[in-house]
Amino acid sequence: MIVTFPHMGDMSIALKELFTGLGRQVVLPPPISKRTLELGIKYSPETACLPFKINLGNFIEALEQGANTIVTCGGVGPCRLGYYAEIQQGILKNLGFNFDMIVVEPDIVDIIKQLHRVAFKRNFWEVYLAFRLALAKIHAMDSIQRKVNMIRPREVSVGESDFIWRQTVDVIDAAENLSTLRTAWHKGESELDEVKLKSGTRPLRIGVVGEIYVMLESSINQNLDWRLGNMGVEVYKTMYLSDYINGHLFRKREYLKKFKYLADLAQPYLGHYVGGHGIKSIAHTVNMGQEKYDGIIHVFPFTCMPEIVAKNILPKVSNDVDIPVLSLAFDEQSGEAGIVTRLEAFIDLLRYRRVKHHLA
Amino acid sequence: MTIRIGLPRGLLYYQYGSIWEKFLQELGAEVVVTGDTSKATLNCGSGLDEVCLPAKVYFGHINDLYKQVDYLFTPRIISVAAGQYTCPKIIGMPDMLRSNIDNLPPLIDVNLNLRQNSRSLYQAIITVGHMLGKNAISSLYAWYHAWQYRRMDQAIRYSKPNGQRIGLIGHPYIIYDRQISMNIIDKLNHFGIDVITPEMISNRQAAIAAKTLGKKIFWSNGDHMAGAALALIQSGQPVDGLIFITSFTCGPDALIGELVSQRAQALNIPCMLLTVDEHTAEAGFVTRLEAFTDMLIRRKQS
Repeated sequence: MIVTFPHMGDMSIALKELFTGLGRQVVLPPPISKRTLELGIKYSPETACLPFKINLGNFIEALEQGANTIVTCGGVGPCRLGYYAEIQQGILKNLGFNFDMIVVEPDIVDIIKQLHRVAFKRNFWEVYLAFRLALAKIHAMDSIQRKVNMIRPREVSVGESDFIWRQTVDVIDAAENLSTLRTAWHKGESELDEVKLKSGTRPLRIGVVGEIYVMLESSINQNLDWRLGNMGVEVYKTMYLSDYINGHLFRKREYLKKFKYLADLAQPYLGHYVGGHGIKSIAHTVNMGQEKYDGIIHVFPFTCMPEIVAKNILPKVSNDVDIPVLSLAFDEQSGEAGIVTRLEAFIDLLRYRRVKHHLA
Repeated sequence: MTIRIGLPRGLLYYQYGSIWEKFLQELGAEVVVTGDTSKATLNCGSGLDEVCLPAKVYFGHINDLYKQVDYLFTPRIISVAAGQYTCPKIIGMPDMLRSNIDNLPPLIDVNLNLRQNSRSLYQAIITVGHMLGKNAISSLYAWYHAWQYRRMDQAIRYSKPNGQRIGLIGHPYIIYDRQISMNIIDKLNHFGIDVITPEMISNRQAAIAAKTLGKKIFWSNGDHMAGAALALIQSGQPVDGLIFITSFTCGPDALIGELVSQRAQALNIPCMLLTVDEHTAEAGFVTRLEAFTDMLIRRKQS
C-alpha cells in the first residue's frame, strides 16, 4: 500500500507525517503545476469546480509515480465536495489506473475506522502519537503563517518574514517528534519577532472570507496573502486548516460556540446553512464590518454553489455594515494580471475611504 | 378581502406547484401564478450573479409578481427526503430575493427540512396556515385536500416502444419550462422520437437502479435523475440514447452528468450532454438534436 492524497496548502506536510507514522509508504503528488491543472481539466466535467479538477490532477500525477492507494475526503452535501470521490474514482478507472480509494467521511468514528485500515502493524498508542504529531504540525504552521501575514506589510526588508517562514516550514516538515517540532516552532516565532518593522505604519486590514480550498492553496489564489502583504495590507484569513479540524472534526466547544455566534450574525441575511462555508462568508463579513476592518475579499472557485449564494447576498451586507467587499471567483482561466488589477483597484478604494473617513 | 399570494412558476413549482396552489386556495387565499417564462423573464432574471438559468428564471418570475400580491410563497425547501438535500441555491433563494429586491412583500419562507425530521412538513403546513390566520386542524385538512387533488392529477404517459426512444434526463424545471428547454420534447417528438423523462420513472424504479451507485447521491433531484437514467439504460429494453440536459453552472449536474455518461458509455448507449443558458441559440440547439437523432437512426439500421 503506497498512499497518496490531494494537496491543499501545506496540508501535505501533516498528512505525510500521519501516514508515515502509521507505517505506510507515502507518495506526495508533485506540487500543483500547469501540468496538474491541464490533466485535471482534460478529464474532469467541464463545469466541475476547480478543487475537483486539481484533486484529479494530483491523483493522476501521484498514481503515475507509483502510488496505489488514494486517501481522500467524503461528505454529505449539499456542497459537491461530498461526491467528488465517487466521480473521480470512475474517471481514474476509465483512464486505466489500478488503485484503491479510501474515502474518509467527516465523522470521527469513521476516521478512526479508516485509519485502522491504513495503519500497518501499529498499536493504538503509536496511532495516537502519529495523529498527535500531525495535528501539532498543522497548528505550528498555521500559527506561523498568521504571524507572517501580520508582519509582511510592516517589515523593513521585503521578503524577510517569507524567508523565515519557508525555512521554518522545512524544519517543521522534517521534525520527527513533538519536542523537535516545538523547538522549530519557537525558533521560527522568535525569529519572526526579531524582524525589523517600519515604525508608524498603519496598514490596511483586510479579511479574507470564502471557500477553504481557494483560500489556502496559494497556487490557485495567485499567492493572495503574499500579494496583499506586499501591497501593504494586513491579511486576516478567516479559515486555516486547524480551524477546520477543530471545528468540524473535533467539534471543540469554543469553535461550536463561535460558530453559533457567527450563525446568529448571518441569520438576518442567510437563514440557513447552504453547505460549504457560505454562511461563514456572510457572518465573517458582518463581524469584520463591526470590528472596523477596511475591507473584505471573498474568494471561491467558479461555480461553487454555497459561495454563489453568499455572493448574491454580500452586496446587501456590505451596504448595511458599511464595508467594501470584493468577490473573486477563481478558475483555470484566472490570470495574474486580472487579479492584480482588481486587487490594486480595491486597495486604492480602501485607501481613499480611509482618508475620507479621517477627514470627515 | 382575500389575501393575494404570489406563486412564481419556477424551480420546484414544476414538482410541487399544483399542490401548493391548491393548498393555498383551500386556506382561503387567492393565488396568483405567473405565466410561462418569456424572454422578458430572462432579462429580469439577470439580477442574480453567476447562478444557473433556472434560478435566474425564478428571480425573473418574482420580479413579475411581487408588486401585485400581498405575500410571496417562496418556501425554503431544504430537504424533501431523509439524508438528502435540494441544491444550495434553492435553500438560499429566499435570502437572495430579500437581498436583491427592495420593497418585497412578506415572504412565506417556512423551512421544510425532512433530512432528519419527518415532522417538518406538518410544522411547515401549520406555520403557513398560521400566517394566513388558520388553526392547525384546518391547515392540515387543507393540505390533505390538496394532496388528494394531486394524486388524481397525476397521469403518467407511457410511450409505446415502436420507434426510437430517448431518455431525456434533466431537472423538471429545465425540461418542462419551454423557454429554458427550447421546447425540446416537442422538437424530439416532431422528429418522430418517443421521449421518456425522469418523471415517467417511478420513485421505486429509480431508487432500485440508483442502488448500483457506490455512494448514495445526496441531492434529491440528482438522485432521482441518475436513478431514472440508470433504470432506462439498464433495463431489458434499454432506450436508444440518452440526452442529459442541464443548465450552465448547475453544480450537482456537473457531477451527475458525468456519472450518467460514464455509465451509458460502459453499456455502449449514446449519451449527449446539452447545456443551456440565457445565450443558447435555437439554431445550434436544433442542429445538435438533429445530429444526435440521425446518429441514433443510422445506428439502429446498421
